[in-house]
Amino acid sequence: MILILQQIVNGVMLGAVYVTVALAFNLTIGILNFLNFTIPPLFMVTAMFAWAVAEHGLPFGLTGPLNWALALGVGIVLTILISLVVERLTFRYMKARYGDATEHAIPLVSSLGFLLILENLVRIAYGTEPHRFATPFQDLNIRVGGLIVSLPQLLSLFLALAIVFGLSRMLATTKTGRALRSIAENPDASLLMGVDVSRIVPVVFVLSGLLCGVAGAIFAVNYGQVYSGMGNEIGNKAIAGMVLGGLGSIWGAIAGGVIVGVIEAMSVHLFGGDTVQAIVWGLLLVALIVRPQGLFGHNAIGKGKL
Amino acid sequence: MSAVPDIALSLRHVSKSFFGLQVVTDVSFDVLRGQRTALIGPNGAGKTTVFNLVSGAFGVDQGEILLDGTNIAPLSPGKRATMGLARSFQNIRLMPHLSVVENVMVGQHARTRGLMDLLTPLWLPRNRVWREEAEAQLRAFGLETYPNEVTANLPYGIRKKIEVVRALMSHPKVLLLDEPAAGLNTRETAELKDFLLDVAERGVTLLVVEHDMSLVRSLCDHTVVLNFGRKIYDGPTAEVQNDPGVLEAYLGPRHDAA
Amino acid sequence: MTGYLGGMLVILSLNIILAYAVFLPVATGQLNLGGAAFQAVGAYTAGILSAEYDAPVIVSLFAGAAVSGVISFVLALSILRTKGVYLVLATFAFAQFVSGVIINVDLLGGALGMNVPDHIDGPIIAVAAVVILLLVMLLMQARFGLAMRAIHDDDVVAGLMGIEVRITRVAAFTIGGVLAGIAGGLYAFYFNFIEVQSFDSLSSVYLLLFVLLGGTQTVWGPLVGAAFFTVVPELFRYVVAHLPVGHAASTGQLDTSWRFIILGAITVLMMVWRPEGVVTRTGLGRLLHRRVEKQA
Repeated sequence: MILILQQIVNGVMLGAVYVTVALAFNLTIGILNFLNFTIPPLFMVTAMFAWAVAEHGLPFGLTGPLNWALALGVGIVLTILISLVVERLTFRYMKARYGDATEHAIPLVSSLGFLLILENLVRIAYGTEPHRFATPFQDLNIRVGGLIVSLPQLLSLFLALAIVFGLSRMLATTKTGRALRSIAENPDASLLMGVDVSRIVPVVFVLSGLLCGVAGAIFAVNYGQVYSGMGNEIGNKAIAGMVLGGLGSIWGAIAGGVIVGVIEAMSVHLFGGDTVQAIVWGLLLVALIVRPQGLFGHNAIGKGKL
Repeated sequence: MSAVPDIALSLRHVSKSFFGLQVVTDVSFDVLRGQRTALIGPNGAGKTTVFNLVSGAFGVDQGEILLDGTNIAPLSPGKRATMGLARSFQNIRLMPHLSVVENVMVGQHARTRGLMDLLTPLWLPRNRVWREEAEAQLRAFGLETYPNEVTANLPYGIRKKIEVVRALMSHPKVLLLDEPAAGLNTRETAELKDFLLDVAERGVTLLVVEHDMSLVRSLCDHTVVLNFGRKIYDGPTAEVQNDPGVLEAYLGPRHDAA
Repeated sequence: MTGYLGGMLVILSLNIILAYAVFLPVATGQLNLGGAAFQAVGAYTAGILSAEYDAPVIVSLFAGAAVSGVISFVLALSILRTKGVYLVLATFAFAQFVSGVIINVDLLGGALGMNVPDHIDGPIIAVAAVVILLLVMLLMQARFGLAMRAIHDDDVVAGLMGIEVRITRVAAFTIGGVLAGIAGGLYAFYFNFIEVQSFDSLSSVYLLLFVLLGGTQTVWGPLVGAAFFTVVPELFRYVVAHLPVGHAASTGQLDTSWRFIILGAITVLMMVWRPEGVVTRTGLGRLLHRRVEKQA
C-alpha cells in the first residue's frame, strides 16, 4: 500500500513537468487554435542549453562555466527567444487567402519543421547520450509517514501551481489577458474591437516559451539528467495530459498533467519502464475516441478547420 | 394566378430564439412555384435567421418548413440539398482550387447515384455527360470563356454568377440567394439582375434575401417584409412602399436608410 | 537491377507508395502524423504471418494491408465525429503507441528487431509502386477525387452540395492506411529485417512533410516530393561525409540529423513563401498549357 502511495506521490511530482508543458500547449491551441509542435523541443532545448552553459560557459568563450541557476536562466531566455522566432515564421507571415484546409495547417506544419531543426541541431551539438546536470540539493528528501518526498520536486510542484495560478489571474484580470481571451473567442471580432492582434500574438509565444523553459528547468533540477530525446519522450506526453484534461482548459491541463504523471509512475511500478509509452499513448487514443473534449474541455476549441 | 396556388416552399409558424432572445416569431409565408420572392426588412429584423433556418444552418424551435409538401425542418443541410433546395452565399464560397467547370460539377453531386458514379473516372464515356452538362449550363449563361481557370483568379462578379450556376446544377426546386448584390457595384448589380431573371425564366423558384431595394423592385414579383422577427407584409412587390406598416418599420422612429 | 541503383529504386518506390498513403487524407484536408506507424502495422503483420506461421508472401502482404486498413478505418471513423485538430492528435498518439507496443512485445522482437526470412525482389516493388500510382490517379479523376478536393477547399459547402463529408474523409484515410500497410509489407520482405526505429514518429513527420512540400493539389506533388527526398539525401551523404562539425557518434547519425535539419528549414521557408507546395494546379496548367485545356 505504501508502495502504491509512493508511486502516486512520484507521479504527482512528475506531473508538475507535464502540467507546465501541457499549459504551454494549451495556450497556443486555446488562443490561436495552433497545435504547436515546437513546444516539446523547446522544453528540451532549455535543459540542454542550460547543461551546456553550466558545463562549458556561454558559446564563443564569452564566459567560463556558469552557476547552475544562472545556466537555467540563460536556457529559459534562449527558449523564449526561439519561441519568438517561431512566432515570426509561423504566424506573422500567414496570409489567409482562400481559407482552405492547407492554409489552416500552415502554422502546424511549420512547427513540425522547427521540431526537426531544433531536435537535430541539439543532437549534432550535444550528442544523444544523457548528461548530468548537477545542483547542490539533488538529494534533499523529506519523509512524511513512510513516504519519501524530494524537496526540489515539492518546490517544483508549488512553482508549477503558482505559475498556473498566476497565468489564470493574468488572463482573467489584466488588459492583455482580456485581449488574449477575446482573440480566443473570435479573432475577427477582436480585430474590429481594436485589439492589436499582431502585438498580442507574440505575448502568447513568450508565455508558452516561458512555460517550456520553466518545465525544462524543473526537469533538469529534479532528475539531475538531461538528454536530447527528452522533448520527444517527456515533452510530448504533455500532449496526452492536455487532451485528457481538455483542450484549452487551464484546470484541465493541471488535472491531465497530474493524471499522466500518476499513470506513468504506476505503470513503471507495475509493468516496468518500457511499458510507459504504450500505456500513456494507448490511453490517450481511447480518450480521444470516447471523450475527445476531455475532462474540462471547452466544446469549441480545436474544432476550427485544420 | 391559378385558383389553387402551386406552393414550392412554405414556412408554417416558424419561431427561433438564441439564448432566450426571440429572433424569429411565428413567421409563416408561401413561396409560389416559378415566382421570385424577396425577403426584406431593416437590420436585425430576422431575415438572415429565416434564411439560415430554411437552408438548415440552424434548426427551428417551433414550426414547419415544407418543401413541396415535405417538412424539411428536421433534416440536415446536406439532405435538404438532395431534396431540391440550393443556395448561394453572401460572400462567395466557390472552391478556390477547383476550376470553373469542376466547381459547377460539384453542384451535380446531389444527383449522383451509387458507387459507379463515384468511383469511375469522369472521362469514361458513361460519365462524360456530367461535364458536358456543366459546360452547356455555363455556355447558356455566357460563362464559357474560362472553363478550366481556377476560380480564385476570377473577378468577383463572374464568381458570383458561377456560384449561382453551381447551385442550379442540383436541379433545385427552390434556389435561396443570400444578398446576391452584396459587394457588387451598380453596373455589376444590373448585370446580375438580368442574369437572375434569365435563371428564373428557366423555371427556377427564387427566394432572395436582399438589402438593395432597387434590385428587389426590378427582380422580385412578391415580397415578404420582416420586422423585429415578425412578418409585417406579404404581398406584391409593387405595393410594398405604400404599405403603412412597412413605411413605419423603415422610416419610423429611427430614420434608417436601409 | 542490383547494387546501388537497384536499392535506390526500391527506396524510391516505397517512398512513393507511402507518399500516396499520406496524400489521400491530406487531399481531404486531414493531416496524418502516423504514416510510418501504419507502415509498421503492415510490416509487422506481414512479418509475423510469414516468419511464425509460414504464410505465403502474398497472403502476408495483403493481411498486413488489411490490418492497417481496418485500424485506419476504426480510428478515422471514431475520431472524425469531431472536427479539427483531433485526428492529427490521434494519428500522433497512434504513432507513439505503435512504437511503445513494438518495444514491449517479444513476438515482435522488441527493441532488437525481427528477422523476416521470405524475400521480395526489387522489381516487384517498383511494379507495385507504378500500379498504386495509376490507381490513385484514376481515383482522383473520378467524382470521388473531385469530392475530396472540394472538401479540402470548403467542407461546409461540400456538405451543402450533398457530398458525404465524413464518409469521404474516412474512406480516403482508410485507403491511405491500406497503402501504408502495403508499403510496410514490401519493406519487410525486401530488407528481411524490421526494427522499431525505422517507423518512429520522426519518420512519420518526415513522410508528411515531403508530401506537403511536393504539393497536394495534384497527384503529381507527392511523386515529386518522394523523388526529391529520396535522391537528394543520397547526394547529401557525400557532402556530409566531409563535414568537420559535430560530436555525433557515427557519420550515419550525423547524416540523418543534417538531413532532418535541411528538411525542417525547407519546410519553414516553404510555409512562408509557398505553402501549397512545389507542384500546384495553376503552375501545372501553365507548364502544360494545351494539355490541361483538353483534359478532363
